[in-house]
Amino acid sequence: MTADTATTTRYRGERRWTPRNVLLVVVGLLVGALTVFPLVWMLSGAFKTVDEVNDPALIPASPTWENFTYVFTQVPFARYLLNSLLVAGAVTLIALWFHSMAAYALARLQFPGREKLFAAIFATLLVSLPVVMIPTFLVIRTLGLLDSYAGLIVPAIFNAFGIFLLRQFYISLPPELEEAALVDGASYWRIYRSIIVPLSRPILAALAVFFFLANWNAFVWPLTITSDPDLRVVQLGIALFQQQYASDWNYVLAASTVAALPTLLVFFFFQRQIVESIKSAGFK
Amino acid sequence: MTLALSRTAGRRAPAAPATKAQALRSQRRAAFWFLLPDTLGLLVFVAIPMLLSVLLGFFAVDGFGNISFAGVDNYVRMGSDPQFWRSVQITLTYLVVLVPLLYVVGLALALLVQQRIPLVGLIRSMLFVPYVISLVVVALVWEFILGERTGVLAQLLAALGIEGVSFLGDPTLALGTVIVVTLWFQMGYYMIIFLAGLQDIPGEYYEAARIDGASAWQRLLLITMPLLRPTSFFVIVTATVSVITGGLDLIFVLTGGGPAGSTSLLIYFVYEQAFLFGDLGYAAAIGSVLTLVLLAWTGLMFAVTRGGRFDHDS
Amino acid sequence: MTTSLSRRDALRVGVLGTAAAGLGLAGCSSGSSASSPLQFWQQYAPATQTEPNLVAQNDWFLDAVARWQQAGGRPIEPVFIPAYTDPTNTRLATAFASNAGPDLFLISPGDFLRYYNGGVLEDLTPYLDDDVVEDYYPEALATRTIDGRIYGLPMEQEPLAIFYDVAALEDAGLSEADLPSTWEDMLELGRRLTTGQRAGLVLDTTPSYYQNFTFYPWMWQGGGEVVDPGTQRSGFASDAVVQALQLYSDSVSTGAAPRTLPAAGDVVGAFRNGFAAMWQTGVWQVEAFAQNAPDHEYGVLTLPTPPGGEAVTSLGGWAFVVNSKGRDPEAAAQFTAATIGSMSQESIDAGVQWNGVGKGNIPARRSVTEAIGDTGAFENPWLQYFRDEVLPGGRGEPRYPPPVLKAVSNAIQAVQLAGADPVEQAETAHRAIESYLVTYEGAELR
Repeated sequence: MTADTATTTRYRGERRWTPRNVLLVVVGLLVGALTVFPLVWMLSGAFKTVDEVNDPALIPASPTWENFTYVFTQVPFARYLLNSLLVAGAVTLIALWFHSMAAYALARLQFPGREKLFAAIFATLLVSLPVVMIPTFLVIRTLGLLDSYAGLIVPAIFNAFGIFLLRQFYISLPPELEEAALVDGASYWRIYRSIIVPLSRPILAALAVFFFLANWNAFVWPLTITSDPDLRVVQLGIALFQQQYASDWNYVLAASTVAALPTLLVFFFFQRQIVESIKSAGFK
Repeated sequence: MTLALSRTAGRRAPAAPATKAQALRSQRRAAFWFLLPDTLGLLVFVAIPMLLSVLLGFFAVDGFGNISFAGVDNYVRMGSDPQFWRSVQITLTYLVVLVPLLYVVGLALALLVQQRIPLVGLIRSMLFVPYVISLVVVALVWEFILGERTGVLAQLLAALGIEGVSFLGDPTLALGTVIVVTLWFQMGYYMIIFLAGLQDIPGEYYEAARIDGASAWQRLLLITMPLLRPTSFFVIVTATVSVITGGLDLIFVLTGGGPAGSTSLLIYFVYEQAFLFGDLGYAAAIGSVLTLVLLAWTGLMFAVTRGGRFDHDS
Repeated sequence: MTTSLSRRDALRVGVLGTAAAGLGLAGCSSGSSASSPLQFWQQYAPATQTEPNLVAQNDWFLDAVARWQQAGGRPIEPVFIPAYTDPTNTRLATAFASNAGPDLFLISPGDFLRYYNGGVLEDLTPYLDDDVVEDYYPEALATRTIDGRIYGLPMEQEPLAIFYDVAALEDAGLSEADLPSTWEDMLELGRRLTTGQRAGLVLDTTPSYYQNFTFYPWMWQGGGEVVDPGTQRSGFASDAVVQALQLYSDSVSTGAAPRTLPAAGDVVGAFRNGFAAMWQTGVWQVEAFAQNAPDHEYGVLTLPTPPGGEAVTSLGGWAFVVNSKGRDPEAAAQFTAATIGSMSQESIDAGVQWNGVGKGNIPARRSVTEAIGDTGAFENPWLQYFRDEVLPGGRGEPRYPPPVLKAVSNAIQAVQLAGADPVEQAETAHRAIESYLVTYEGAELR
């Protein structure tokens, strides 16, 4: 039997309603429903009027689209969405690229001081945000990146989490992978591009989801380094509806619902990649 | 099949000496360029701030540019600060309960949603959903469930004759509630990591085991768990780190460190010192100790697991 | 795009990375160039929403800046900081720690002392005429005055009182005649009004400066003090303090008050949905009701007192302060004085606009109160009640350093939510405050 057919039987078999599967589906849906419950309430709150937004009823008495209209007409929410898209998208793309390169070198290339360098990179994971925030702010200011897209994007790229995860993935790939290519005289860059990256699709897809979400949900950093209203990201936009004493929760909920949609789309798209990309690794 | 099996053996064909030296040189060059962008970026945006913060720990800093050398005062103060030790204790409880929970729940969910069952895409998405909620609304959304008289849980309990339970207002329940909410918030994240790790295990192994008549439980223990070790290692290490250095956002919106200090995690204590009290030196000193403790702990983990490589050599 | 970005960084890194390390936290003040507009950080303008009250507040700031500029003043740029009032907002602290603070900003009383002791507040006295200082209510200036010098100019006063929901009383078969004037009656009524989903009496529960602020009046009513203004020693181990702590303890243990805030702290929402009957909160809720529930029937009640106690409440409110390390503290101070601190008709009108139209709260100056009369927002009888009944018992939120605030907060939290003994907790806090004050060197505490 070839590896390919094994993979196929494992991942593309029919999804039948066997008793075991029924049990699993019921368990899955039950846990899923519990997990989604708070979100459903957010969704329903987004359609409630200000009169009933604190009412625990799940179904709005008189559902309205008005909150959404308000969110888009009262503040430039589309602009905030676009800013977040730009920032989160750029960070995700660059970070995936840089981290996969670094992780490849740390996992599969031989060079002196490799383990020490990895330890140093890993150690940067151990910082606690409240104590490095002010020094980081100083660095950003010294580099002239305050109040700019670069200030939102560049510092967010560098995070040892992705490097560590990819390294753990790469060290478990069989060593024979590169050997044939090396014998054929391929460069390391070529091996990285044509062998390693295609093989890492599941893990890169998972990381893409993490990076995108983490940056889409970023609040403290954008709040700390931007003043220009044109640079506001979506989470700052949501905070605008929280007034000093009384918040307009129906607008906050509508804005949060709108903000959740792109992240859900990203997840729907990438979860297939995470699971189905095993096909491309089938020759292992 | 043969290729896949050889990976555990980790054999490597010996190369001719001349070629080997050449190959090492070119590997070194390649490694330099591959590592350059991230290393530089981490140096500037993480390592330098971290270094500055370690230095700060030896100063008295008021948050307004007034700074004076304090030697080890900040470290000495830590020893006799009851609030600090209380936070340490709370953080340890939080850690010891939350990390195993994240591990077990994350893995269990991953095993569930990698099954070929109907509706699996839907289930997978549902489990990941908390992660997309803005933190701004997390408190409000949970109020709906945990609210003292108005929440869904309170009403369920009232129907059973249990009244007056306050999940976030009772010091004996608050930390547990925060743990449950954190688990709810993050389990999808670890599920994805495990899911990606599971995809890395060649299907042939399971096929072979099935042919040999291994039960599902045996397959889990004898194939999945050993081959998942690099992922497990990653999850335990990063969950420990994130539980200790993160979690601030949820504390802010759920309890503000209360009731009666029962959810005042160490990281919240550090935040309080730095931003509410303006005692940046003390905060930096505690941050440095935290980083050192984490270094020791993860160093041990790396030593035990041979650098997180386990039995794979490179 | 990605490559160019990383290369540029790499270059900058080499040159500036080491520079950043050397700068330390006492780094030189740079930021924007000397000729650019002064920055005024606050939570009102420029706003984008078009709800009438928010527009009025936004316009107030923009108009003030425009008037100043027309009169030939140095340009000032209002900078809207999202979530500025959120105690977890690290924006201002980060900027000041990096010597990049704004030239002008709004400050709440709880933060005042730390900024003063940090040496970043400009003395505004030279820019204020004597008759203006006279015009301010003494209580509004008291906590912003140090050694006779004024370091912050309040734009409003925000007293605390009890808000009650009329429907909640009616549901219990009660009327406004049954409203409490003593602590005992208040707890009793709280218990009676606690039903099903409804919390009878809400006292703040989240550990914060704000909770301390809401606690002080109960303590003051019996003559208690955190720090005795005369001796500058701890006054926390007194009967009056223990009595107030006992009130917090009883409120929860007898079931009169909840352990967490209903409706995530949204008073209007909680009243409207029947989640709370009485709530100790501030004058700003009058405006919140006007905006979000204009037809909801509620009422206001001065804080009930203990036996033999006097009616005292605490006063909050935002104040203009000038960063003495800013680019042009003199211009910023002149702007502050011209806008809210001058006897000119323009300045009084600005007060009328802010307190009587835009925000609807109690003025900090007598001339503004007189000019408003019962017009604008003060057509509302409850705002008049705040002005005539609540304000006279008002005392400015005191300025205490963080360790003192924390000691008080710990005591409140322990008795209220962990069932601790008030006497013991008062004693513990007393010792913590005493030992801190031994080495304290900042401004007088009051």
